[in-house]
Amino acid sequence: MLIQFTLNNQPVAVEAPSDITLLALLRDHLRLTGSKEACEVGECGACSVILDGELVNSCLVAAPQVSGRSVITIEGVRAPDGGPNDMQQNFISYGAVQCGFCIPGMIMAGEALLLKNPQPTRQQIRVALAGNLCRCTGYQQIVDAIEATAKSRARQRA
Amino acid sequence: MTDYRYIGKPIDRVDALEKVRGTARFVGDYHLPGMLYARCLRSELPHARIVKLDVTPALQVPGVVAVITSDDFIDHGRFGFPISDLFMLAYEKVRYVGEGIACVAAETPEAALAGTKAILCELEELPAIFDMEHALDPNAPQIGPAREDGKHPNFLGHFPVYDGDPEAVLVDCDAVIDQNYETVMQEHAYIETEGSLAIPTVEGGVLAYVSCQSPFIARGHIMRTLGLGETAARVINPPVGGSFGGKDDLNYMTAGQVACLALKTKRPVRMTFSREESMIASYKRGAMRMRVRVGADKAGKLRACHFKATYDSGAYSSQSPFTSWRASIHAMGPYRYDACTVDLTTVYTNNGFAGAFRGFGNPEVYAGIEQAIDELAEKLGIDPLDFRLQNCLRLGDTTPHGQTLTESVGLSDCLLAVRKASDWERKRAAYAHQSDPDRRRGIGVTALFHGTSLGAEGTDEATGTIEIHQDNRVTLTSGLTDYGPGSRTVYCMIAAEMLGVDIQRINIHLPDTNLAKDSGPTVASRSTMLGGNATRIAALNLRQNLDYAAADLLGCEVFQLQRAGESYLGPSEEPVPWEVVVEHARRMGLVLSTFGRWSAPKIHWDEEAGRGVPYFAYHFGAQIAEVEVDLRTGLTDVLNYYAAHDAGKVIFPQGAYGQIYGGVAQGLGYALYEDVDYMDGYLQSINFDTYLIPTSVDVPEINGSFVETHYSQGPFGAKNIAEPAMVPVAPTILNAIAQATGRRVRKLPANLERVLLGETLHKKGSPVSCKVALKSV
Repeated sequence: MLIQFTLNNQPVAVEAPSDITLLALLRDHLRLTGSKEACEVGECGACSVILDGELVNSCLVAAPQVSGRSVITIEGVRAPDGGPNDMQQNFISYGAVQCGFCIPGMIMAGEALLLKNPQPTRQQIRVALAGNLCRCTGYQQIVDAIEATAKSRARQRA
Repeated sequence: MTDYRYIGKPIDRVDALEKVRGTARFVGDYHLPGMLYARCLRSELPHARIVKLDVTPALQVPGVVAVITSDDFIDHGRFGFPISDLFMLAYEKVRYVGEGIACVAAETPEAALAGTKAILCELEELPAIFDMEHALDPNAPQIGPAREDGKHPNFLGHFPVYDGDPEAVLVDCDAVIDQNYETVMQEHAYIETEGSLAIPTVEGGVLAYVSCQSPFIARGHIMRTLGLGETAARVINPPVGGSFGGKDDLNYMTAGQVACLALKTKRPVRMTFSREESMIASYKRGAMRMRVRVGADKAGKLRACHFKATYDSGAYSSQSPFTSWRASIHAMGPYRYDACTVDLTTVYTNNGFAGAFRGFGNPEVYAGIEQAIDELAEKLGIDPLDFRLQNCLRLGDTTPHGQTLTESVGLSDCLLAVRKASDWERKRAAYAHQSDPDRRRGIGVTALFHGTSLGAEGTDEATGTIEIHQDNRVTLTSGLTDYGPGSRTVYCMIAAEMLGVDIQRINIHLPDTNLAKDSGPTVASRSTMLGGNATRIAALNLRQNLDYAAADLLGCEVFQLQRAGESYLGPSEEPVPWEVVVEHARRMGLVLSTFGRWSAPKIHWDEEAGRGVPYFAYHFGAQIAEVEVDLRTGLTDVLNYYAAHDAGKVIFPQGAYGQIYGGVAQGLGYALYEDVDYMDGYLQSINFDTYLIPTSVDVPEINGSFVETHYSQGPFGAKNIAEPAMVPVAPTILNAIAQATGRRVRKLPANLERVLLGETLHKKGSPVSCKVALKSV
């Protein structure tokens, strides 16, 4: 079937089977491999994307469900100049990245949180990340990076 | 104190940008035109003879291009070090549920799965053994390879340490603890599952992208089992999505399988595992059962330790001979004794198989000894932290192995650091008297030593290369992999520091067997010391050539040279830019590519006598956990965590702290949740919905710190950190739970039932989920 939606702020139309997941649509049909496949049961969050402003596990979304809707993936997260945005740069600066496999999902979770709660506490950040597993970092520097991003964005708004 | 420009300073990780942008290409992200997908037929029985294996029906399945079995490899693909008991695909027998039997390459993953189902595979079930205590019974079914020395085939090895006669001392002690402790298997749970991609080369060889720890070992196995020359097999490590010891032997099998299929089909072949396949097929941290007896006198002097344990390696030896040895060396903990015996026996069973996992046997033995030490302190009425301070290894002490510690022993300082950071005395006293009937707090401590690098397990050296290109970029290679801890960044920092150039000039290749030099395995937290020293020496060799060029250019002696930023200064000249010096070196005909090899100091171990110098240096550390236990449910909440580690000089701070935080998190899972539960050989948790690893709300804010003793042989004084951070976490949390509840949990994990009831509720298992998963996409 033809699936038409907005992907990273660009309209796309892609012919794909109707019984695949959004994750498979992104990875196998659109070759956007930043969203990772790691459990396919919605437990690990490595495939996290933002669907109409909500963080979702793309492995649990049927591809046709995104018709007419807006999907943001890690490939759509960047600064206006094309470089890393402030969240991504903070992940680098705070040492939040080790093996990096969970990191696209973590950044999507961080961005989704700040869309709804621009000034979260550390505990609120931890709760927002609870659906994203990381085996390397112990989460602490990821929380640091998201907290720093929230604070710097708040300063810019002020 | 030397003032460094990069060493010990914050720096951006060199491979982080591509990872935060989602552009890093992990194996599963590769797509090549004409690429085939591989899938293994895996055993659904824990122990069976392969009576019939006919792959021809699979070849009739639409989309299936090729099928291989052990017959497609030289010597049936036998491999493994130090004991060669593994096969690229099962030969004659299967010994665990999930063992690969045949491998199909097809146009689509679905066709590959259909191909595995079409294979005619007849298995004759054999009696199996699941209880390590009965593995060596005379009538136990044979799991391990046949032996000619008359020993039981399920006997894998005996690993002793002998220092005097602890029996004689124990009878003399004022207080003795005699307790049993038990750990269970742990899943690595790297977020990226296993995967390999092989591409046939024009000269008849194979190029493999393998998500593994040691590319040279992967290449060696491919060469030997497929009959390829050294240059005909090339292995590259793409970014590796976590490993923790886990992307070793099993992924060498996937590499061998796709390499074989690529040669056979003359097409690229990729295999990536589902989470279920990963958990069912992969090796684990081994389970251990321990009896620990420790004794002390009234004044709190530790006098004797007798540690006896059985270790379950499952169906294959993999790294268990080495993990068992490391475990035996550390089983008495970081203390002085009058006498000590360690007696560790490792056996084969049909419980999956055990191999390398962060800490390499030490999280297991520390779960025993560091609880026993706590119980002994309690019996003596001595504060457990004071008891450790009184007895811990210090500079100049001789260990129970007979090794005198001559430098870099920061253990007592680590204990003092966590005592202060945690407000230990106040909390320990306060938590001794609580009245809340529902919630109780506790605080617990442990002390740690952990040998650096391989130890007397094997030859220990590494080689790095460095080259200045025509455009003046500097490129490094290392044969060691960075699967997360940050060694690639460490090497770039060291090279920039030694050359006196901006780190932005430095690039490092992905590990590639055609570019880098064999540096042994990427294991044992050895990358910073071994690879770091190799890089330092390579850069020093290059720096020497540039210094000659600079002195020649500036008309002075080398010793008169100074640096201002990157530029060189002579006694009377203006600054000369680094590029000009490089260009002058070229004109002088000096080589601008060098290498450096570093061999670890000589050590030795006598396996019979159980004595020697097992490691050239030790990491030391101390950790404190503060918990709150809900007495109504048994739920343990880790409120605060304090970890102080003597890793020598810290080179890459964000990376080093990341190792503490990540190690504590992984240990927290080991302590409280993680249980690889084999029911009659069938894994009961095969995905993250039932195998729980810590989330961001389970892990507390961690107070990490470093005691930076200088180690003379380490690069800039550095030692190691990756494994040790995880090693003592479980007993630290268990010791805190014991204070909170007044009751010991001596079997891991301390889940709700064990904390609340002191026992595990019987839960009937089932083979169904394993069997279904092995047949699903």
